[in-house]
Amino acid sequence: MKGSGEREYILSVLARNNPGVLLRIAGLFSRRCYNILSIVASQTENTEYSRILIVVSGDDRIVNQVDKQLCKLVDIEEVNVLDRNKAVVREHLLLKVERTLQNSEKLVQIAGVFHANILSVTPDSMIVELTGDAGTINSFIELYTPYHVLKILRTGSMAMSIGKNF
Amino acid sequence: MLLTGAQIVMECLLEQGVDTVFGYPGGAVLNLYDALYEYRDRIRHIRTCHEQAAAHAADGYARASGKIGVCIATSGPGATNLVTGIATAYMDSVPVVAITGNVARGLLGLDSFQEVDITGITMPVTKHNYLVRDVEDLADTLRSAFRIAGSWRKGPVLVDIPKDVTAQKTEFTPCRPVPPEEPPLPDEECFLRAAALLQKSERPFFYCGGGVISSGASNEARRFAEKIDAPVACSLMCQGGYDQRDERYMGMLGMHGTKVSAEAIRNCDLFVAAGTRFSDRVLCSAGSFAEGRPILQIDIDAAEFGKNLPVSLSLKGDVKAVLAKLAGMLPQQKHTAWMAQVRGWKRRYPLRQTGAPGEVLPQDVLETLCRLTEGEAVLTTEVGQHQMWAAQYYTFRRPRQFLTSGGLGTMGYGLGAAIGAQLARPGSRVVNIAGDGSFHMNCAELSTLARCRLPVVELIFDNSVLGMVRQWQKLFYGGRFSQTDLGGGTDYALLANAFGVKALKIETKDEIEPVLRQALALREPVLIDCVISRDQNVLPMVPAGGSVEDPMLTMPSNLSKEESH
Repeated sequence: MKGSGEREYILSVLARNNPGVLLRIAGLFSRRCYNILSIVASQTENTEYSRILIVVSGDDRIVNQVDKQLCKLVDIEEVNVLDRNKAVVREHLLLKVERTLQNSEKLVQIAGVFHANILSVTPDSMIVELTGDAGTINSFIELYTPYHVLKILRTGSMAMSIGKNF
Repeated sequence: MLLTGAQIVMECLLEQGVDTVFGYPGGAVLNLYDALYEYRDRIRHIRTCHEQAAAHAADGYARASGKIGVCIATSGPGATNLVTGIATAYMDSVPVVAITGNVARGLLGLDSFQEVDITGITMPVTKHNYLVRDVEDLADTLRSAFRIAGSWRKGPVLVDIPKDVTAQKTEFTPCRPVPPEEPPLPDEECFLRAAALLQKSERPFFYCGGGVISSGASNEARRFAEKIDAPVACSLMCQGGYDQRDERYMGMLGMHGTKVSAEAIRNCDLFVAAGTRFSDRVLCSAGSFAEGRPILQIDIDAAEFGKNLPVSLSLKGDVKAVLAKLAGMLPQQKHTAWMAQVRGWKRRYPLRQTGAPGEVLPQDVLETLCRLTEGEAVLTTEVGQHQMWAAQYYTFRRPRQFLTSGGLGTMGYGLGAAIGAQLARPGSRVVNIAGDGSFHMNCAELSTLARCRLPVVELIFDNSVLGMVRQWQKLFYGGRFSQTDLGGGTDYALLANAFGVKALKIETKDEIEPVLRQALALREPVLIDCVISRDQNVLPMVPAGGSVEDPMLTMPSNLSKEESH
């Protein structure tokens, strides 16, 4: 349950690729009792740096604290709290669903509606992938739920601010 | 020049102006200790009895001198023994560089003998830490460690060096240390808004925290207080940061603050805080702290703004520079009525301990000590009632005179810190104020005092109980004194003598002055067993959940059983 004023924030963190940097970030969140909803880390165009996208739940005060505490970590270069209205937010999903003779056509149809890719089909299972915002992914999963979903993997949010200078 | 990793460590220490280190040898630091032997004419190494004391000594050295303290320990247990000391330094923002050995790189991660992931363990209690995997990185890593420890908000940094890295050789190029970068000042608009708030205020309250001492801002704080014509209170960490003989000084603020500070905060119309993080021991109940009054906070660490308390205006920058600039912007303020009111409270609410006739009161002991040392001694403390009494009853004049574990509250801190302080300031009288409980945590360090001939006075307030915990049990646990009666089985004189330390005893009021005089006249380590009543409490006190504006001045006659912390 989220308290009043609690919402999700996306932090985009640029960090030097030193050993343990992800541990430092994760440790900071856990010891200061901030909630990580998802975290995505990857190398940037410059291999000395990683970009880490963290979705946090909290209120303005908490996210303000997270921001400032992160900035104090020596390996962290910059922290941006992204504005959802001025950013592209995407998640990636892999979903494996049980396939039967009766439902196979239905499964392909749902994938078609979402322009999802079918990556693998076996007589008893099918893997589909979808990229989209969290809402799209949620409804996609919901539509497959009646057909016995076997496994779900989602990356957590990646986000990029819009415009040349951000 | 071609040097081993261990020699590079020594060269880097010299580069940083380090001439004293504290530590304890062991397998993984054999190479480092071999280099210490080679460099023994330039680097003095003080071996404690336990690595924890080495960390506290490095911390005490740093607090007493303003320089960076250095401690060294071996891998595994040596490194973990440092952790409490590192955490103590971290909580109080003390610049320390801890150097640990680790097993050779080929043995890392294999659960090798005396292997521990000390960088993982100390991540939450250091500003930063390093595991040096290549001797090529060693010198620059150590330089960064010193730079990080001593700049901005200071703190401990740990450098873990595998044993084979200390043996590897590489070309070493000396390098002059870079002066710490000057933090930028807040923008002009912030200053103008602050100045406007200050000029509008008729009853300002100026509150100084440990940041005033670590940024060397005592003079600026005094001039600022004069300029805004405000009374001043200090946190536990800022004892001595403001001259306590000054008529503006009201005492501590917080759980064991003075009634004068409490009255002033209740009546002020602006609260100005410099270099403080508003710990829960100061705020008491955050919701009722200076409620409805604007708060102006000055700090180097932006994360302290709004962390525990919402503030009206924050100025991010070095406290010294900000106070100087702010004072320069303001015309002289005059709050005659307000200052008269504060003087009235000071007359009305002096701190006064009471007891049976002839009873040895900690207040009398500390005030006598203050008089005999002309207020110039360096006091270290352990943690508990004696710590609060030391803060309350010794009149500190200067920064770096009172060294105490405020944030972590580490029992066992004081004796180690006293070792460091005495080495940092050989000309000063160093007195460790201890309780008998805390004393037992680190008493082996008496042998370090004796071996190094450090003329530290170990003054034990001996009440045979864990007084502070017992006070809480008295107040909130219906007098069920669970595990706080120490039984008083220790013969302090025998113990001290066994270590080669002289021992004296205070049992009556009349003995206070002669015994203290005698101890201070000896230029060698001495222990004073000062027997006090177990029923002496620390007052004033704001009980859990209470408001800082409303401290209890006496113990309630009917002690409540309901409350708990």
